[in-house]
Amino acid sequence: MGNVDSDFKPSVPVLDSNMSLGRRHDKPVNVDSVEGVRSEMERAGIGRGLVYAPHAAIFDSGEGNRTLVETIRSSDKLLPQFVCNPSFDDLSEFAAHVDSEGVRSVRMFPGLHNYPFRPWVIGPWLDWLAETGIPVWLPVEFELIGPIPSTNPVDPRDIYDTLSQRPEIKAVLSEAKYGDSSWALPLVRSLPNLDFEVSRFVPGGGITSAVEAIGPERVLFGSRFPDSAISPQLFSLHHSDLSKDALQAICAGNAERLLGIG
Amino acid sequence: MDTPVIDFHAHLGNWARHAMRGDLERYVDIMDRAGIDKACVNCIFLGDARAANDVVAEFVARQPDRFIPVAFVTPHYPNETIPELERAFSQLGMKYLKIYPDYFRKPNDDPAYFPIYEWLNERGLAVMSHPSYPFDRPGTTVKGKFTALSERFPNVKWVLAHAGGSGNTETLEAARDLPNVYLETCGSTAPFGAIEKGVRIAGAGRMLFGTDMALLDARQALGKVVTADISHSDKRQILGLNAIELLGLDK
Repeated sequence: MGNVDSDFKPSVPVLDSNMSLGRRHDKPVNVDSVEGVRSEMERAGIGRGLVYAPHAAIFDSGEGNRTLVETIRSSDKLLPQFVCNPSFDDLSEFAAHVDSEGVRSVRMFPGLHNYPFRPWVIGPWLDWLAETGIPVWLPVEFELIGPIPSTNPVDPRDIYDTLSQRPEIKAVLSEAKYGDSSWALPLVRSLPNLDFEVSRFVPGGGITSAVEAIGPERVLFGSRFPDSAISPQLFSLHHSDLSKDALQAICAGNAERLLGIG
Repeated sequence: MDTPVIDFHAHLGNWARHAMRGDLERYVDIMDRAGIDKACVNCIFLGDARAANDVVAEFVARQPDRFIPVAFVTPHYPNETIPELERAFSQLGMKYLKIYPDYFRKPNDDPAYFPIYEWLNERGLAVMSHPSYPFDRPGTTVKGKFTALSERFPNVKWVLAHAGGSGNTETLEAARDLPNVYLETCGSTAPFGAIEKGVRIAGAGRMLFGTDMALLDARQALGKVVTADISHSDKRQILGLNAIELLGLDK
């Protein structure tokens, strides 16, 4: 008979590096308020979350980012991550907004926003990322429901070519799925400046494979809340035979280092 | 919490495209780390059902205390189906049947399956498949489909793979309203609140913990149930007690 940890709580501090906050036009959002997010974080036993605004991803990054920071201003547990769309946004305005709000990371959606992650489209933005040291999260896809449902995948060849030419840029590959196993780990193994967020990475033995490929210092816990529950992947991390140091790094330390916070 | 933990949904074989490896040692290692007592294993990757069932039987024989064999047949070779069911259940000790209509391109209410269901119906056995398909007949609903199947084959237990962890209201309501429909919980995502919703609508007694091992990781799958906001009693039912009752296993 199994002995199951039915009252599981994480044994180390946790910073969830993949959360979103705000309503979407294409589907109801499971939890759409600061209070609701904080309640779920408390139930899951996690201390901080890095959040972006879905509206910023889907329609208007500027509007979505502004709403996000106003929404979470009173919560020190939620850290804002700004979405940028280099094919639409004004870089100087965006940079000023990032600076004024003390934002420490950004998220790009090349597939969703329909541009190649290539210098001939995003060259000035790459320069800005390099100058500021601000890390960029790169989700593998972003699912939209609508007349033509789409997943908007990113092209891994673009990520490889661009980041291998710009080793000073820090990036995080986010939301790779089990079906991406054949290229996702080789990609992060090939790029020392590309870390790996594991919210959707659930192939058999996936956590172990990721740690073996790039070391625990480049793996980040994320949940993809509120689409996904916070705790299942945390449970998996805690049952993957990781050392305490490795678990601490994956659950919070690596994200803290990328974000420049303690 | 001491409770039997039985994975109702695991696969054998390699699936290179998804980096899936069906090594016994790998299964046992992950099961031990997660706290899973036994896994129901099938092999659905071979066109020859007899060969597939032999793979399962040989695998289980290596560690029979940890694995429960599950049969597979294909409607593409109807003349072979009933003899193979006889062999699989009578000689190889299979406990239920897994079919994979997604790849047969025949939805699970296609008459091609009816001889199979009739055989199961006479013995009161369970069959697991995905609940719906892109190639379902237009207008088909999950509840409508399983209402018709349940009326025609009232002794069959219908296990809907992935449905217990999907949060899909229509499927959950089908299980609530039909006496022999069960919902298995695995999936490549962990939709927020899905396990809780399944318990709320269909009831914990209709849900079966599964992993999709070794395609997916059993620990994340277990974490979905273990960390859900439901009672310990509900967790125990989902994690193993329901499977024990459904398959007639020793407690």
